[in-house]
Amino acid sequence: MRDSRTILAVQGVVKLFGGIAAVDGLTTEVRQGSVHGLIGPNGAGKTTMINLITGLFHPSEGAIHFDGKSLEAKAPQDIAALGIARTYQNVRLFSGMTALEQVMTGCYLSRGTSLFASFLGTPAARRRWSESEERARGLLRRVGLTERDGALAETLSYGEQRRIEIARALGSSPKLLLLDEPTAGMNHAEATEIGRLVHELRDGGLTVLMVEHNMGLVTEFCDDCTVMNFGRLLARGNPQSCIADPAVQEAYFGRKQDADRIQALR
Amino acid sequence: MQLFLEQTINGVALGSLYALFGIGFGLVFATLGILNAAHGTYASWAAIVAYYALDWYGAPFPVAAAAGVIAGGTIAVVVDQIAFQPLRNRGTGLLGALITSIAFWIILDSLAGQATEHQALAFPATSYPTRMLELGAMRVPIMQVIVITSLVVCATGIYLLIQKTLVGAAMRAVGWNSVAAALGGVNSRIVILLTAFLAGATSGLAGVLAGVTTSNVSFTLGEGLMLKGFAAVVVGGFEDVRGTAVAGIMLGVIEVSAAQYLSTSFRDGITYTLLLLFLMLRPRGLFGSTNFLRA
Amino acid sequence: MQTLLDLWAAHSSTVAFAMVNALMALSTYAVLSTGVLSFTTVVFAAVGGFLSAQLVAKLGMPLAIAFPLAAVGGGLAAAMVAGAFLKLETHWMALASLALVLITRVVALNAPVLTGGVNGLVIPRRVSLGELTVVLVLVALVFYRLSRSWYGLAARAVREDPAVASTMGISPYRVQFIAFLISGVVGGLAGAALAFTLQFISPETYFIGIAFTMIASTVLGGSFHWFGSIIGAAIFTALPVAMQAVVPAFEDVAKGIALLVIMIFLPRGLIDPRAAGLRRAARARIAAESNNA
Repeated sequence: MRDSRTILAVQGVVKLFGGIAAVDGLTTEVRQGSVHGLIGPNGAGKTTMINLITGLFHPSEGAIHFDGKSLEAKAPQDIAALGIARTYQNVRLFSGMTALEQVMTGCYLSRGTSLFASFLGTPAARRRWSESEERARGLLRRVGLTERDGALAETLSYGEQRRIEIARALGSSPKLLLLDEPTAGMNHAEATEIGRLVHELRDGGLTVLMVEHNMGLVTEFCDDCTVMNFGRLLARGNPQSCIADPAVQEAYFGRKQDADRIQALR
Repeated sequence: MQLFLEQTINGVALGSLYALFGIGFGLVFATLGILNAAHGTYASWAAIVAYYALDWYGAPFPVAAAAGVIAGGTIAVVVDQIAFQPLRNRGTGLLGALITSIAFWIILDSLAGQATEHQALAFPATSYPTRMLELGAMRVPIMQVIVITSLVVCATGIYLLIQKTLVGAAMRAVGWNSVAAALGGVNSRIVILLTAFLAGATSGLAGVLAGVTTSNVSFTLGEGLMLKGFAAVVVGGFEDVRGTAVAGIMLGVIEVSAAQYLSTSFRDGITYTLLLLFLMLRPRGLFGSTNFLRA
Repeated sequence: MQTLLDLWAAHSSTVAFAMVNALMALSTYAVLSTGVLSFTTVVFAAVGGFLSAQLVAKLGMPLAIAFPLAAVGGGLAAAMVAGAFLKLETHWMALASLALVLITRVVALNAPVLTGGVNGLVIPRRVSLGELTVVLVLVALVFYRLSRSWYGLAARAVREDPAVASTMGISPYRVQFIAFLISGVVGGLAGAALAFTLQFISPETYFIGIAFTMIASTVLGGSFHWFGSIIGAAIFTALPVAMQAVVPAFEDVAKGIALLVIMIFLPRGLIDPRAAGLRRAARARIAAESNNA
């Protein structure tokens, strides 16, 4: 039985950029321990929503609650400390760092020692550093990367970079993982691998919110989904019912009567 | 009362020099996005070229001044192409351009020192207009009138150029996004060269006039102008030439008025404090717009 | 042996200046390594320089106490500057730091009791080469430890991508504040070192000229590693001296040309850890391709 407690609550969130509402009154919930798909056509406001959750932007209206706590006016680093981690649509790894170093930065929150002690190099601090390094290596194995630890991340393949980013996000042992189009640019085999990894993470207790375009993957891997268009909610619920929803169909495929009209013109 | 008016005109003339330099400096910053540490040296060199045109060839003042102005513009173009163009092709940011401009500042400053043999040269009194104009009860040195007029002409001319002509529109486009501008058919290369020349020439004019009116043609000339001109640009607002002109004059008047009561360095302190306050509290300056975004 | 000693004697002052410049460059590197471009090292150096000069002259303190106090003075100044400036956006902060350098000179000129005003201060003592070496080695050790600690990793992340770093729990503000403190402490030391090497300081000493050359040293040597600052400072100091033997008129010009060449061909500077990583990857690729062929 899956826990039905809500871990992330989005209530009436609006985000205005100048006169444009990137998110226009979105209300939805993410169940703890689920894989939740955030889907919609391009420009629907999905990445903006992720940015709002992680605190890069703040809502113009509405509220976001995580684990019962309000995220209002919190800085990104404080939100991260609450247990939210993310990846990016266009992979954003740090230039000049090896794969291991990338994941180590992700372990910053769980470093277990003060900056000063780490600077001094006390035995306790050194132990924590080694532990973090071991964890980081373990995470790289988990996402399927071997023998890449010492390589500059920017010299690796796109698929490998995406996986490093996921490992980096897992470094802080988050409760909620936000994946922004994790399978973009991957072939079916690679995408399935990612889906399998996401399921493993969920089974280990993590909640995953993933922005995804590929409907096949959504039906295969997501437990729930939220469909957006023009910043608004189109549908919520399990993937099958979302896809069958006529409003969703229209957003993706156009209205049936328009399709018929075009057909008749031929 | 007469003294007050004459002092005010002194202030306006001094401020006009700052404004004139600032316009050139601001052109580079606002349209090319470069904080150019070497810009002051263009003014120094313009003054030096004008001086030697007078000294070696006995050229009449307008010709010597023109030579200086052209020299300023040319040096600016050369520096731009050697220092900044490679960086543009690579997409380097502000820091890279700044450091490269520092390199040229070192080079040009040092060469200027050698050209003047590390002395402050003065334009011989016979080489430039020294009449006094009688305006009502006041007597105003004609050089001051020339300086103020130059500012008005240049500021107006450049403002009209940028706002009202196709060339100006091209300059603004390139400054904002040179790739998009190129896609729109703007020849970025020419626009950049033109902007650099104009910026160097304007600051060069400030240098020549400053050299004459302060009897100090040396490699330190540019530095003084640069700091005050930079302040004028920030206080007035980066984007708008008119703002720089007004702010420059304002700073000049403040300085001259304060001279009655304060030492030189204190006067400078007022200018720099204003500069700092604006940078911290109102970076867009008095007249700049809020959507000023320099990546 | 004798020729070596003669050589050393002839150039010991150059070495001393190189070490002082290295301290200045490291102070700039401290903030640059977190993505902050700031000229405030000069301000911290002025505080440290005048403070130590007065402590020694008026209170007869030994250098071993005056120098650490100069460092503390620099650190306090840095705390104030960081508090005021870190809210500003990068470019405005750089310009504001420049404005602060200008203001510092004005303040220095108008406080003759502290700074000797226009006439400056003559400093009867001189810090020895050995003492300078100790200071530089200690400071270098600090930077070495920082680079191998969590702070170092966090600083690199903040420099490369502060937004991403913040979503990983790293506070850019906190990291940059600490960076400013380090910059202030090292800058204060650098200022004291300069004062007791030049044996004369005035408000002109801690001004734009030094501000520009110290940032140039940092970038030329490599702004992505602390050792680069030391190398850059050494080159920037030694080059004019070397040129003096060859073409005396162009010693300063040589510095500018060296900087220009590096900026055009090696924009990340001489010491660049990333370049090493890229070369390794290229070699690995070539090896893999020849194995497949």
